[in-house]
Amino acid sequence: MSTLPLLELRDVGKSYGANRVLRGFNLSVQPGEIVSLIGPSGSGKTTALRCMNFLERYDEGEVWIDGQLLGYSGTGRREADRDSEAKVDEVRNPLSMVFQQFNLWPHMSVRENVMAPLVLGKKMPKAQARTLADQALSRVGLSAKADAYPARLSGGQQQRVGIARALAVKPRLMLLDEPTSALDPELVEEVLQVIRSLADDGMTMVMVTHEMSFAAQISDRVVFMEAGQIVESGAPGPLFNAPKTERLQQFLKPWFNRSLTPRAQVTS
Amino acid sequence: MQELMSYLPEFANALLVTLGVSLAAAFIGLTLGFALNAARIAIPGFALIYSLYVWLIRGTPFLAQLAVIYFGLPVIGLRLEAVEASILSLALYSGAYFAELFRSAWASVPHGQVEAARVHGISRVRVFWHVQAPQAMAFALPLLGNQVILTIKESAVTSIITVPELTMTAGRIVSTTFSYVMPYALLVLSYWLLTSSVAAIARALGQRMTRHLRG
Repeated sequence: MSTLPLLELRDVGKSYGANRVLRGFNLSVQPGEIVSLIGPSGSGKTTALRCMNFLERYDEGEVWIDGQLLGYSGTGRREADRDSEAKVDEVRNPLSMVFQQFNLWPHMSVRENVMAPLVLGKKMPKAQARTLADQALSRVGLSAKADAYPARLSGGQQQRVGIARALAVKPRLMLLDEPTSALDPELVEEVLQVIRSLADDGMTMVMVTHEMSFAAQISDRVVFMEAGQIVESGAPGPLFNAPKTERLQQFLKPWFNRSLTPRAQVTS
Repeated sequence: MQELMSYLPEFANALLVTLGVSLAAAFIGLTLGFALNAARIAIPGFALIYSLYVWLIRGTPFLAQLAVIYFGLPVIGLRLEAVEASILSLALYSGAYFAELFRSAWASVPHGQVEAARVHGISRVRVFWHVQAPQAMAFALPLLGNQVILTIKESAVTSIITVPELTMTAGRIVSTTFSYVMPYALLVLSYWLLTSSVAAIARALGQRMTRHLRG
């Protein structure tokens, strides 16, 4: 694994006024890797993820996507130093994203939702976009719903449309921000199955999740955060089976108490 | 009955004047309001000008604004006919309210939808037209219809500067015939007819635009 990292964060930090929500964040993601960010609420996981595609303007450090610096051209990190939106769009082009709240466009049909980034973003001819959209929808098992509007779908189906939309642009890396947190428990599994199948296909992913057993199953690396910092990270087997820090042991306790033993523990 | 027939043509004419003045003003006001909101989004620093404009217009009576434009502008050499001055002031007045309606309509589209579009390479201009506008307009439509109705009713104030619209005409008929009930009943009925038509059109359009959002 000595290839160029697809995504690299070096000493990334983010503050809201005096509140430093992310500090000294380092992460390197190789093509094909799956990294999960876990940690208690407010630990900075989502902020870290949102800095990776400049939805949050980080104000310390560097984010590199495929060898290009994201968001800034110089060394300054203030609002005035940021690159133009067109430049940001160009650098983050290899990334796509799945949101906790799906963020589908309710006035567009399911197919139009998946086509929009291709037609409106990449300025692809409609016929070609339609083909790609239908492929992506069939990939998440929703071909039958292509003409429906999002309001007609269940939460799980809506999130699968969200995944299809993020898939149709043929990203090199997909960011997933708590993709199952807004779902009823019974709908979680259908979404996890789709994500698992993407993992099997070798999609590079960075995911924020509260689904510990799922993170244990699919991740190459798990990053545990607290108070805006990485506390512990590593392969899921050792991390879940033998957490080194007391904080992570404490955090994982409820999971083991509920006897939701990660599969990685069983197999390793 | 014969008396009614004697001033009915004049009344019908006045109805057209009210309709013309208020619809022209509402059309310009809508355009102005839309442009103000778009500029507020697109141009950094425009928000200040926007707030000043809305603050000024909403903080003063329409009658005072009309007076400034009709009696004040000639001082700087711009003399407008009563109808022109009425349309202009009513447009500037309603424009501030229309702008606020558009602003709230745009704010009603969840920001996450904008983020989803932006991170998938859709430019801000296209987000405005393809993501926000269709939903915001559906949200705004009943409110816009309501504001058009308010504009029609506010046009009664222009009778002060002798625009031959409904209110002015009714008053003149009363003062020449000394009959009160019929002209004023007709006046109320005419406004009610105009405003109800606008409400019906807005409702029909609104239902068309939100059909698929209802799930």
